[in-house]
Amino acid sequence: MSARGVAQCARVEARKLLVQPQCAIVLTLCAIAPFAFVAALRAQAGVPSDTLFGRAVHESGFAIPLVVLGFAGLWGLPIVAGLAGGDMFASEDRHRTWAAVLTRSRSRAEVFDGKVLVACGFAASALIVLAAAAMAAGAVLVGTQPLVDLSGALVPPPDALARVVLAWASVLPPSLALTGAAILMSVSTRSSVAGVGVPVVAAFVLQIAAFADGPELIRRLLPTTAFEAWHGLLAHPAFYGPLLHGTAVNVVCGGASILIAREIFLRRDEA
Amino acid sequence: MRPPCVPDGVAAMLDRAGFYPYLTGRRNLALLCRMDGKRVTDGSLDEAIARVGLTADADRRVAGYSAGMRQRLGLAAALVRAPRLLLLDEPTSALDPAGARDVRELARELAAGGSAVVFSSHDLLEVEELCASVTILRQGHVVFDGALERLYAMSAGATHALTTSDDAAALRIADQCPGVRAARDRDPVDGLDVTGHRDAIDAYVVALGRAGVAVRSLHARERSLETVFLHVTAGGDPS
Repeated sequence: MSARGVAQCARVEARKLLVQPQCAIVLTLCAIAPFAFVAALRAQAGVPSDTLFGRAVHESGFAIPLVVLGFAGLWGLPIVAGLAGGDMFASEDRHRTWAAVLTRSRSRAEVFDGKVLVACGFAASALIVLAAAAMAAGAVLVGTQPLVDLSGALVPPPDALARVVLAWASVLPPSLALTGAAILMSVSTRSSVAGVGVPVVAAFVLQIAAFADGPELIRRLLPTTAFEAWHGLLAHPAFYGPLLHGTAVNVVCGGASILIAREIFLRRDEA
Repeated sequence: MRPPCVPDGVAAMLDRAGFYPYLTGRRNLALLCRMDGKRVTDGSLDEAIARVGLTADADRRVAGYSAGMRQRLGLAAALVRAPRLLLLDEPTSALDPAGARDVRELARELAAGGSAVVFSSHDLLEVEELCASVTILRQGHVVFDGALERLYAMSAGATHALTTSDDAAALRIADQCPGVRAARDRDPVDGLDVTGHRDAIDAYVVALGRAGVAVRSLHARERSLETVFLHVTAGGDPS
């Protein structure tokens, strides 16, 4: 296995992904959804008051990306992760293309690693586009006023921007961990439906489970808890414990998913 | 055990291999070439596309291809690797007679150019026409491996058609000749079916002459590869 071989496989996967309509649809939705959300908010007098920073959506443009982040963590990012990883391997089964792919001068490990790189790259790209669009929508349509944080302190615009960027960066590990879970489902079931659907449903169920009364340790060990860990960044003083726990849990879960998927893929029979 | 990477110079065209339906045939080939680390230019794929007769359809999406066109594309995907060893798995199963003839011709060209072509097929007429040596498998085990002529020569004796002046006596004499089996042909006009190695048949004919039975005709019946294959895979030892 060589880095050059992995890079060649990744380039091929990226080319395949970019010509498929679902790639353009996901990225376009990520780019326009925040603007549509802000436009809808401006068309009505009410605010999403039951959402963190929902009351501030008309007062500071920095509240917009945080409200979008709250919704995205529940549904949007798991769906993107499912789409990124869930179809990556199963589509080769659906099109019966393994025979063509695995008779080139590339090892299975190189093929696997190239696909994983592209899946994770796509999930990360969609997250970046969504974050950038949400920040742009807030700044352009509402403004760059200071933000009142969760402790009631006024955060000046440069600091608010930095915290918003960090908050979005903090959901990258759980997004990639879900992409890893989607890859595992895609490899183990050879089904795109399972690959895309199971991680999305699992993420939703785990987030609902986090609301239930239960041991704090269990809550901390849920991979999806990291989708809310950014709350600590918007408190005064900021606290980072959930962020560190969440990142560690997702590194372990995502890494384990990908390693298991890799072993299955390297050993399975494609005849 | 982890499957090894396919070395350079080895290519395979596998039966029912698929391609990305949302891409054209040419783009499918370009992607596979890029996986091999080859530079792809506009004209670099044209030769392989032309050799399999897909020039007119290369820029159409594979979703609209027939099974035969996909098979041709599979062959082109193997050819772009400039193989010294080419594995063809049922390469003509979805082709019309003209397409099958073209593929056989292509296989001959590659073999004449110095490439080894391994041809896997259940169509024994095609194997007989194309292959210089064969490997016969039965339940995953090799039961014969060698030149086609050797298979014919070594298979359990050729069958001969024999007509004599006294077939009943010829049958009795056959029972006394080791290595010879004789039976009446289904068509009485054709006389007897006699099976045995050449030396045994020679001894049998001499024995007939000594017994006063005239041999009116003796000729070897042609044995097709299918007959030999069935004999070998049914448990007969070709040697």
